[in-house]
Amino acid sequence: MSKKTYVALVALTFAFLCFVSSCQTQEEIKRQKYITEGILLYQTNCANCHQRDGKGLAALYPPIAGSNYLAKKDSIIHIIRHGQQGPILVNGKRYNRPMPAQLHLSDLEIAEIVTYIYAEWGKSNQIVDVKYVRNVLK
Amino acid sequence: MQSSFWVLSKLLCLLSIGLVSCQTSNDQLPILGQKEAVTKTVNGKTITDSVDHAIPDFRFVSQYGDTVSAKTLNGKIYVADFFFTTCPTICPKMKTQLKRVYDRFKGNSRVMLLSHTIDPTHDSVAVLREFAQNLGVEGRQWLFVTGNKEAIYDIGQNSYMVSAAEDASAPGGVVHSGAFILVDTQKHIRGIYDGTTIEGVDKMMADMDKLLAESK
Repeated sequence: MSKKTYVALVALTFAFLCFVSSCQTQEEIKRQKYITEGILLYQTNCANCHQRDGKGLAALYPPIAGSNYLAKKDSIIHIIRHGQQGPILVNGKRYNRPMPAQLHLSDLEIAEIVTYIYAEWGKSNQIVDVKYVRNVLK
Repeated sequence: MQSSFWVLSKLLCLLSIGLVSCQTSNDQLPILGQKEAVTKTVNGKTITDSVDHAIPDFRFVSQYGDTVSAKTLNGKIYVADFFFTTCPTICPKMKTQLKRVYDRFKGNSRVMLLSHTIDPTHDSVAVLREFAQNLGVEGRQWLFVTGNKEAIYDIGQNSYMVSAAEDASAPGGVVHSGAFILVDTQKHIRGIYDGTTIEGVDKMMADMDKLLAESK
């Protein structure tokens, strides 16, 4: 391998790495923005019942933290938009309070809340972006 | 509607802070409300005297289906509040906070909690009973009462909410203001607190300790 080719290769690899890492950073910046907004939206729209720590209230309002519903992301998105009526089982426990539909929340706001929920209690570092939410709510 | 609840509860909070701060120089809690003139006959003479504002008698029905009157609370200090079970705005906050009070004073036979529903059409005895159970409330220390809607609003606006009567015409009504009202063993109101905040309720619990010491 000539010295020239070697230099070119190193430069190329470097450029590629820069590209990849900046890509991740962009995505991570977006996720952080979602989370920042999500915290505020959660506290305004959700924490009344589900509490700031996500643990819910006795047998009245189910927890989000540690909830088996975290495995049903699409279902969570649906419930936030359309509310929930009738009894449901969360972690094997029965809850029977209506949750009002949150029709005032936009797709983006729901995406921000869900991203926050998963970052906080889902041990996830994945963004749930507005496109995903829009698709689920179609 | 929701935002006016908030404005109201904040107003009430400010008001109660104002009321409390006016009186902190004295260690004893104030007796709130307008004094009322009473006319009575003593030794054949008619005299007019002024008495402190007190909660009048009432008849409501508890989550167990039995009658609750002022007599049920005789000899106790108690916290009164107004809510409804399907309210998604401030009531869950209030119940979260009142549950803290319940846990703190649980088993103390001199303390009771009295939550009035302002939606008696929906909040029947059975609904209140399930709500109380789900909240983890047992026994008779914390009573959830329903009854005649006019009677509930009347006692709320005219007897409990002494410091905010001028707001009674606001949407949602004063009874939906998020306030906790502390009543002593003589049925006098000794404090009104913001039942939606940790700070407001911490203050109330400190005052409850004071009141218990006073009426020992």
